[in-house]
Parts: sequence; C-alpha cells; structure tokens
Amino acid sequence: MKKTAFFMSVLLLIGGVFAFIQVPAWKVAKDYNIEFSAKGVDGVFKTFTATISFDEAKLAASRFVMTIDVNSINTGNGLQNKHAVSDEWFDAEKYPNIRFTSSSFEKTASGYSVKGKLQVKDVTKEVTIPFTFSKSGSKGKFAATFSIDRFAYNVGKSGGDVENNIKITATIPVTK
Amino acid sequence: MNFTKGLLLGLTSGILSSGVCIAYNEIYSEAFYINFSSVLTITGIVLSSILGCLLMAMGYVIITKLKKTVLIPWLNVLYCILSFVSVISVLGYKLPLDVEFPEMFPGLAVPMHFFPTLSFLALVPFFLKLKTTK
Repeated sequence: MKKTAFFMSVLLLIGGVFAFIQVPAWKVAKDYNIEFSAKGVDGVFKTFTATISFDEAKLAASRFVMTIDVNSINTGNGLQNKHAVSDEWFDAEKYPNIRFTSSSFEKTASGYSVKGKLQVKDVTKEVTIPFTFSKSGSKGKFAATFSIDRFAYNVGKSGGDVENNIKITATIPVTK
Repeated sequence: MNFTKGLLLGLTSGILSSGVCIAYNEIYSEAFYINFSSVLTITGIVLSSILGCLLMAMGYVIITKLKKTVLIPWLNVLYCILSFVSVISVLGYKLPLDVEFPEMFPGLAVPMHFFPTLSFLALVPFFLKLKTTK
C-alpha cells in the first residue's frame, strides 16, 4: 500500500513538473512571409511549415523546427526560379527542404535570439538568429532579419552576379 | 507614303495588333488558369501596340520622303529583327513577387512582341502602291 502511494506521488510530481515547463504551441498563420534579398537577386519562399513552441517566460523549454520548401522559391522571373532550384544552386531534387532546428533561446536587448542548426543542401551549420516576438491575446508575431553566407552552404558559386551574403527577412504571424 | 497614309496605317495595324494580343491573352489565360492582368493591362497592350505600329509607319513615311523606297524590304527586315530582339526584355522581366507562375509569363508576352510587326506587315500592301508587271 505504501509502495503504491509512493509510486503515485512520484507520478504526480513528474506530471506536475511537465505541466509547469510545458510551453504553448503556436500555429503558423497563412500570411507569413519569408523573403531573401541580395545584390543581384531577391524573392520569397512561398511554402513554409513550422512547429513552434515558445513562451517568453520559459525560454529553456521553447523550441522551433522550421522547414522551407525549396521548390516554392519565387524570384519573380521564371528562368531565375528554374536556375535557383538547379543543382548549381539549391539542388531541389536532391535537397527539397531547408531546415532549422533550435537548440537554445536567449533574451537580448532588442528581443530574443535563437541558436540552432540550419541545414541547407548537405551542409548543416550552427547559427544564431535574432528575432522579436509580439503577442496580443491568442495571436503573436515573430519577426527576424539576419544574413547568411550562401557559399558556406554550397549554394551557387562564390562571386558572380549574386552577392554571397544573403539577407533573410522572416515575418511569421502565429495563433494559439 | 505620305504622313496621313502612314498615320492611318499605323493606327489600323495598331488596332489589329491590339485585338490579336487581347484575344491571345484571353485564350492563354483561360487555357492555363493564369492571371497576369496586374502586369499586362488592356490599356498597356493597346497603347504599346498602337505606338509600335505608328513608329513602324513613320519609318515608311521617312523613307518615302528621303526617296529611298528601295530600302523598304530592308526596313521590314529591321522591324522583324527588332521584334525578335525585344523578346530578351520579356525573358529578363521580373514580375511582382505576388504574381503566381512567373515561368508562364514568357509564353504569353513573347508572341505579343511579334503581333505589331505581323499586323503591320500584313496591312502594308493595302496602303502601298504596288508595282505590277504585265
């Protein structure tokens, strides 16, 4: 009897701890925008999915897993789109997605920053992405602007018409 | 070809070309379920067709004034070459990012670059005195 009571208490305690650290899951709203720009090219990725668990008060338990469909690239020019998904650039046939998986979050002066692994093609690198989060009721909005060196991920050849440093601007409205 | 005749040729071939462009636009848009109306407006199509044909007609007027009508066949060749060269601008054209299926745009716009010259060359014989051999 004593053993059962002890076991039940432990279970209750574990459940309580999980309930305490559980962070809200956010669903990505339809009007998200993932833009990229550099000297020589700019455009958007139209298809993006994400699993977002984020709480400003529970950063340690927060988590981002984001996937961008490379084939959804739109530069505004059909020929450029075709070129972008070719093996010289994103090689979409072999690597159809760009993935970001968070590992830790930090509060910064201007908002937050998330560390994680960014996988583009066959290259995975640790990156830190600064972002802001604004919340009103059951809605929220994540916004991030950062740059990545495309050549570090074997995207295109270094130099040429397109600048190596690509500026990414992401605006992700979310709902609970 | 005098100025009035040139003006009339430019206007009629421009109107003909506009009609063909608009009809092609409708057929293409219906067939492929695409909508480029934010980029290719009816007003834009009509104005550019008429302007293009008027410029071609003015070339004829100028060459007639210079009494170099022997160069008319070369002028026609030049118009064809210019139409072909203008296609490059379509291939490099960057559509607004909210426009879907940009890869379908050249299929719509490239033929439209040839319609003014085609219309013009089709109507020229009606406005020129052709030399007939007996």
